[in-house]
Amino acid sequence: MDIFDSPWLINMLAKSSKTPEGRLLGLFDILNDWLKAPSLEQANVTLGAPNSLLISYCVEEAKSLGAENPELLAEHIVLIAQNAARHAITQPESNSLIHAKKVALALIQAQTQKSVIAADIKGSHSALYGVAASVVILIGAAAIWAPMFMHSQSAQAQLAQQEQLNTTIIQNKALTAIDASRMYAKYEQMRQGTCQFPEVLQIPDEHKSIYLENVVGGKLPNDLADLSVANFYLEKVRCNFTPMLMAASK
Amino acid sequence: MSGLRQKILSTASDLFQTQGINSTGVDTIVATAGTTKMTLYKYFSSKELLILEVLKEGHQDFQTWLNDKLSANTKHPAEKLQKLFDYIEEWITAPDFNGIGFIKASAEFPREDNPVHKLSTEQSQQFREYIKQLATEANIKDADGLSLQLSLLFKGAVQAEHMQRGSDAVKYAKIAAKILIDGSLTR
Repeated sequence: MDIFDSPWLINMLAKSSKTPEGRLLGLFDILNDWLKAPSLEQANVTLGAPNSLLISYCVEEAKSLGAENPELLAEHIVLIAQNAARHAITQPESNSLIHAKKVALALIQAQTQKSVIAADIKGSHSALYGVAASVVILIGAAAIWAPMFMHSQSAQAQLAQQEQLNTTIIQNKALTAIDASRMYAKYEQMRQGTCQFPEVLQIPDEHKSIYLENVVGGKLPNDLADLSVANFYLEKVRCNFTPMLMAASK
Repeated sequence: MSGLRQKILSTASDLFQTQGINSTGVDTIVATAGTTKMTLYKYFSSKELLILEVLKEGHQDFQTWLNDKLSANTKHPAEKLQKLFDYIEEWITAPDFNGIGFIKASAEFPREDNPVHKLSTEQSQQFREYIKQLATEANIKDADGLSLQLSLLFKGAVQAEHMQRGSDAVKYAKIAAKILIDGSLTR
């Protein structure tokens, strides 16, 4: 029996959970149970290439959970499941399918994080408008400018701030361990909540890559200059730390 | 090392990566390298031996490159682990990337008793050990588990990239790696 080519697997997946995420992750539990079944003779286990049925099923689930690239997510998850199942046959004690499930969950998070952010930014009550409005009020003309214009004013104001910021950066020193650990702590904290990031369009071109990599992407900046820029934008990120389960139960 | 031997090795490596190992005949290799079958067999007694040598060299190049990058650009063990997928991404998204030898070879030679399969499994294991060492140095409690997770993530991303060049698989793998590493650092 080739498990990856069996309609039985699709049936089991469909029954495994009420959520698309649960059904994608169910793949690992089903394989784990199946490979541990006492009646199973390992000699009969074949793990061929996943057929289009399994991939298509996973693509639909990935679409339902709002993945940025559902085809890629489905393919990557199935590949990981296959590799882990092969690993489980040669080294059953490695718990490879349990580890593979964690990997799949991390990939789902990686593909859905930005969708959440994008959805939040689209919301009319985002923190972004708050920032834009306060800048505009300061210069005393809030009442006459349309929201679109507020965006561009906000961008200009930020640009001016960045120029100021740039002048304070004297040299490109390497990060110390303390800098790195502080940044990691900030990233970690951000991940605990649902965060609203400033729109990338508002950010000057020279800072876009730092913003995307070191703020949105959560990658450690290369030097102190990048760190200052990243910190500047990190301050602009607004996060809601309501526990996800609580938020979901509303 | 003989220049001709090296020429045969690099020609075979290019052809294996671009056309596949099984579908590249010895005739094609000698014709492309501008040599003769007799010369090829003087250095490599069989095609299998040539494949094994190509794999060994390719793996060595990848590991050395990765190690040099990590040693030159990072100081702290935790940072090395965090940067690992940045450099993997750099390697995989390079214009001349044609795949990771041991991952392609293990797919082309699925029989476990085949020497090519055995070597690719060994290299895959070595890579996992390398990750485990970085995780141990970073004081991660379950270094073994994390190394398995990251190697599964890496292998899947490379396979997805083999299937479709420019698939963005490594981009997401990098974010997922960070989630996994941070998760195990806080434990």
